[in-house]
Amino acid sequence: MNPFRLSGGQIAVLIVTVFLLAWEAAVRLLTIPVYLLPAPSRILRTLIEHPALYAQASLLTLAEAFAGLLIGLLAGVMIAALLTLLPGLEEGVMTLAILLKSTPLVAIAPLLTIWLGFGILPKILITALLTFFPVLVNVLSGLQKTDSHHLELFHSWHASRREVFRHLRAPNALPYLFAALKISAPLALIGAVVAEWTGASGGLGRVMWLAYTNLNLPFLFAAIFILAAAGMALYRLTVWLERQVIFWQSHPEP
Amino acid sequence: MKVEITALSHIFFTPQPLPALQNLNLYIPSGQFVAIIGPSGCGKSTLLRLIASLLQPTSGSIRLDGKTPAEANAARQVAWLAQSPALLPWLTVEGNIALARKLLATQLNHQMSVRQALARVGLEQFAGAYPFTLSGGMQQRLALARLLIQNAGLWLMDEPFAALDEITREQLASMLLDLWQPAQPTVLWVTHNIYEALRLAERVIVLSSAPGQIVADFRIDLPHPRREDRADFQDLLGEVRTALNQAVEATV
Repeated sequence: MNPFRLSGGQIAVLIVTVFLLAWEAAVRLLTIPVYLLPAPSRILRTLIEHPALYAQASLLTLAEAFAGLLIGLLAGVMIAALLTLLPGLEEGVMTLAILLKSTPLVAIAPLLTIWLGFGILPKILITALLTFFPVLVNVLSGLQKTDSHHLELFHSWHASRREVFRHLRAPNALPYLFAALKISAPLALIGAVVAEWTGASGGLGRVMWLAYTNLNLPFLFAAIFILAAAGMALYRLTVWLERQVIFWQSHPEP
Repeated sequence: MKVEITALSHIFFTPQPLPALQNLNLYIPSGQFVAIIGPSGCGKSTLLRLIASLLQPTSGSIRLDGKTPAEANAARQVAWLAQSPALLPWLTVEGNIALARKLLATQLNHQMSVRQALARVGLEQFAGAYPFTLSGGMQQRLALARLLIQNAGLWLMDEPFAALDEITREQLASMLLDLWQPAQPTVLWVTHNIYEALRLAERVIVLSSAPGQIVADFRIDLPHPRREDRADFQDLLGEVRTALNQAVEATV
């Protein structure tokens, strides 16, 4: 299976390096013009030559993504909790959530820009909208899918609905929350960038849009590289956090 | 807690009507240790679930010290232990007992501390461990400590040791008897193991296949500790086995 005894992380680095080298070689050997596909070395040089521009843009986009993710997370968890405590509301609220979710983002984003301007508020809202749904769906099933043996135990204690929620449903939903975060964290970056694309005064989306309209592909790809790296870092951070919090998950349940 | 069951029937609608219990009458005086055995699917678990108010009977009545199962449950007087120890994996050994004590604290006057309960089942050195680090037998011992701290008048046990290996099962059965001795709550213990039933119980009730009815009711007056090699033990074993075989054949 693994003759070189490499760790998972080493293999990942190896694959990415091979991919970038192949890309570099293809661009050089086939002499692909830079306005179609710049070589990785050219993209990295663009990044190094404009550190302030990219740092500023990345910071803004990341801030929007984090703020939006936080709001989406809180809203998703709160609505899931509400629907668990008041199950009668589930169908109505879920229909509304699905309607909201099925509306294309590219249709809502310009509207929010028209209503709320070019500042960061519409970006945060769009990111929140995008990240909220996976959290709601996952956490809701985590709160509902409790083990029947546990429910019988709490029944024998004549525990109140609130006690069952606090001591059984909430901790039971934590692994589901992290599963949602793994989806929502990278989505947050997409949300922020797409929102910036539809009109913004700064951020990576703005940089990409400017580069795109000028056919400046090294600039465009530099932003993509940053986004890919940030998405990966966010994902890894979530996985690390999950291991700290859900220490009982990798073991079979008693 | 005394248990009075009158003309109890239960039908599951799945959606075809599936009778599980039919016209069951049973009186259990307070403090009796009763084993219930029967072929699989005879409604043993259904009977326990009805008493635990996890199910509502189709007809008939159950009275626990004169109360309905729901009232006895509200008074937290009915403790429950099934095959799964149902431990909370995110809480430590101590935390699992402490949660039971906390949630039950409003109703019961607790004489027993968490540490004392753990000591009774020999888990005091594992107070800080998490359930997933314990063996199956230790997990079920922890569940027994949790049952003990509830201080209930009735213990309902649905094949609590069925998933364990034989040696561990025997150890836990002896432990169960030791835990029962001081306060002597009423015990209704469903098992499919005749040996186990005869080693522990004061009374063994044999149910027929579904719809479950009582086909035999044995008093076991042998002194403790009971020895399997004694003639009277072997005689009873033969009688119970015959009754169980008849219960199985009656429905085939």
